[in-house]
Amino acid sequence: MPFSLKPRIGLPLLALGLGLSSTVNAVPIDECIAPADPGGGWDFTCRSVGKLLTDLELTDGTVQVTNMPGGVGAVAFSNVAAKRADDSDLMVATSTVGMTQIAQGRYPGGAETMRWLAMLGTDVGVILVDDESEYESLEQLLEAIVADPSSVAVAGSSGAGGWDHIRALMLAKAAGLPGDQVGALRWVQFDGGGPAVTQMMGNHVDVVSTDLGEVAGFIESGDVRVLGVLSEDPLPAPFDQLPTAVSQGYDVTGYNWRGFYTGGDVSDDDYASMVEDLETLYASDQWKEVAAQNGLVPLWRGGDEFSSFVVESIERVEAISREIGVIQ
Amino acid sequence: MSHTDDLELNHDRRPAPVGDRIAGAVLLLLALGAWWHSHSFVTGFMQPVGPGAFPRLVSLPLGVLSAYLLFRPGFNERWPDRAGLARQLAVLLLLAAYAGVLEALGFLPATLVGAVLLTRLFGARWQQAMVAGTGLAVGLYVLFEFGLGMPLPNVPWWGAA
Amino acid sequence: MDTLAFLAQGFAVATQPEFLLLALIGCAVGTLIGALPGLGPVNGVALMIPLAFNFGLEPTAALILLVSVYYGCMYGGRISSIVLNIPGDEPAMMTTLDGYPMALKGRGGEALGLSAVASFVGATIATIGLTLFAPLLVDLAIKFGPAEYFALFLLAFATIGGVTSGSFTKSFIAACLGLLLGTVGIDPVSSVARYTFGTFELYDGIDFIVALVGLFAISECLVFLEKRHDADKPHVQLGSAWPGMTSSLSCKGSIGRGSLIGFVSGVLPGAGASLGSFLSYMLEKRWLGAKGDFGNGDPRGVAAPEAGNNAAAGGALIPMLSLGIPGSGTTAILLALLLSMNITPGPLLFAQQPEMVWGLVAALFIGNIMLLILNVPLVGLFARVLQAPSWLLMPMVVLIAFVGVYSLNNSPFDLYMMLAFGVLGYVLRKLEIPTVPVVLGLLLGGQMEFNLRRAMSISGGDWSILVNSGISIGIYVFAVTLIIAGAVYAMLLRRRLK
Repeated sequence: MPFSLKPRIGLPLLALGLGLSSTVNAVPIDECIAPADPGGGWDFTCRSVGKLLTDLELTDGTVQVTNMPGGVGAVAFSNVAAKRADDSDLMVATSTVGMTQIAQGRYPGGAETMRWLAMLGTDVGVILVDDESEYESLEQLLEAIVADPSSVAVAGSSGAGGWDHIRALMLAKAAGLPGDQVGALRWVQFDGGGPAVTQMMGNHVDVVSTDLGEVAGFIESGDVRVLGVLSEDPLPAPFDQLPTAVSQGYDVTGYNWRGFYTGGDVSDDDYASMVEDLETLYASDQWKEVAAQNGLVPLWRGGDEFSSFVVESIERVEAISREIGVIQ
Repeated sequence: MSHTDDLELNHDRRPAPVGDRIAGAVLLLLALGAWWHSHSFVTGFMQPVGPGAFPRLVSLPLGVLSAYLLFRPGFNERWPDRAGLARQLAVLLLLAAYAGVLEALGFLPATLVGAVLLTRLFGARWQQAMVAGTGLAVGLYVLFEFGLGMPLPNVPWWGAA
Repeated sequence: MDTLAFLAQGFAVATQPEFLLLALIGCAVGTLIGALPGLGPVNGVALMIPLAFNFGLEPTAALILLVSVYYGCMYGGRISSIVLNIPGDEPAMMTTLDGYPMALKGRGGEALGLSAVASFVGATIATIGLTLFAPLLVDLAIKFGPAEYFALFLLAFATIGGVTSGSFTKSFIAACLGLLLGTVGIDPVSSVARYTFGTFELYDGIDFIVALVGLFAISECLVFLEKRHDADKPHVQLGSAWPGMTSSLSCKGSIGRGSLIGFVSGVLPGAGASLGSFLSYMLEKRWLGAKGDFGNGDPRGVAAPEAGNNAAAGGALIPMLSLGIPGSGTTAILLALLLSMNITPGPLLFAQQPEMVWGLVAALFIGNIMLLILNVPLVGLFARVLQAPSWLLMPMVVLIAFVGVYSLNNSPFDLYMMLAFGVLGYVLRKLEIPTVPVVLGLLLGGQMEFNLRRAMSISGGDWSILVNSGISIGIYVFAVTLIIAGAVYAMLLRRRLK
């Protein structure tokens, strides 16, 4: 997008007495694509980081958030690859969920198609049921699944074989579900954790497996019961009362880091300055605060380190997918 | 949707076996192609209904109805005469060219030329076209670029000054 | 009565001068944006979000501004439907069917006045509904699972046969074509690319707005070019909007029914205003049947869909505010705005942010009155924009369509796509294949398929889940009744003509 930053004389906003803040970098990030509907984890990542970029004056005006749902991020991925590969004012939210899609060959391109900017924190998987559900504990649920895998319909925001689904299957395997029975567990995909929980409240599905950040509001309001959190240690407040799967004897963890990529044709200089902006944001107290409120643990990897981590993540998820039988 | 008048009143409406038969044949081919191509969509892991099912579910009635159209054609509106067709082609070519040069030339120059020619093609006199086209181009530029804050392509050789 | 106390509190918030001014600005800008062909409520609200941020508005103020724009767009969309036969936005599509014929008969002003009143009643009923039923309707929406949604979409297509007065076969062909075009792009479930033939630009599917603008605006221009228009165009006489006030009295039944149907379809997430106006029009046409002159400028054909789409716009706010589920593209953007202001919509919102929610509800009541005032005495002002000589108006429509479509993705590919849809729309019109079902298929196809596949995942591949609930069966029975009633009515009419 040819977009120059020359001051525009006659800009109506100036006439209204609103000055433009001067920018530090040549090309500040001014758009973030959330490859999902509003309300989900990617949307939250874009909105919170976009708002902080503005608050910390790392960009002009505001960061526009564009929702581009479809194909668990594949639509946004192909859109950026095809139309906006050299847009150095654009970043796209991604996470382990996106890596899973790449690992299973579901994006129109591999990791090398994009430039990977940074990750800012990680979210953690949760297993939820309705607050009036018959399942009181993780053990009860998993026993029911092992006894008859087709008796339970599990929902989440990823497709069949996606990260939300894999995490549920890892738990079922840990509880003793034989490998050839994995396909019998019913999996239903929704456009995000919120819609999945709503459908669970309407008794259309039994269990939801998704990220804590997507359903934090429902957990706080008490509409759902958390059977297990997929972290090694208990979470910090306000989620410190939630039981982990590990503490209930199932050695399964499933994190979901949150990060950003940009188009593959962005120049080295612009790339470096985008990474720098995100690092400044990461170092701020405001980010720590926002992350804690939403059940994210702050964690930094940026630039080249992040790029190699992405390749590593993809390989790891590919291995798990193979083990479970999602891909041959 | 101006085909609402009664049969007797509308002189532009006539039984049209040829138009409808061509349309029926084309749509039937489309439905068959869609059906055939849908088998190349690989069904993913654990999906009771794969990506090909819905396209097939739709192309079935499309094919049946198109075949019906092929054998029982209905009415068409009057097709344009040669002069009308020429005007339409000219406008479409102009618009395609405009879309092609929009980013290469920048919004203002491309739109100035495009708008003047377009206004002329829609029946304005040259003088009117010059004035109206210029006004439209500048007005749109000001509205979108400044009023709504949506950036339009700049003239490339003026660059990011 | 808690609700009344809350509402009173809301009015205290909303009548602050600053908020009144914002509501007025929002209504006026919204009406204008809605009236311009191709720019609908989604664009309108999306355009205003950066401005709201730039002005540093607090959440309540920003929400009032944007929701006023939203309501304004819903009012404005009808203006170009009636005056130009081009829907200003997608829900105003049905208004062209009788609105434009009315304008051709010199009753344009009456149509505008009538539709303003219908819009007002629809929106007010929806706002009252929002006030009273928000908690109750949350429960109803939850009862709709994937199978019930699929049934609802089938109902929409079952009634399609009568959208226009064209042939039954051709309407269904158009719907199938739209549904098929809707499958182009990456399948959201399996991530398989369908019918893209390796074209990267097609991976994110056919953009609905691009197709809509092409099918309506561009094909309209091609129709115009068929003949030479040397002097002036067939002039649409507008006249005063005041007669609309009286004719709205005689349409009060249609307005009432349209409002209720629209409100219910608005509340159901994923259905939205288009379905609301569509069902309102269809049911009105079916119900009144021979008593009406639908398609030729029957005032009730203007009143019902306008009441329907404005009621749906209000109804769509209920799932957005109370469940955090957007019922339409526009409410999705409003939801996004709330989230970016760190307000999480959901079951707790009404309890945690009563001033904001009830301030918003009160602002909607006030905005509605403002819109009625803007749209009856002042409607000429808005309509005059669209009354310029055709050699100026037509290029203006084309260029606004071009710039609007281009700024969606900054992509020339979208422009070629729009031109292609323009040609397609033109050819379909010549063949007397209606274009409205194509658009509906394209619009609803994705969710229809997704819900079918969700239902099948839940049942583990057992198709009987589709008819497993009372709600689904009720909807199917209703759909079949409508089809049979339509067929019988057409047969009777044909016999009478002979």
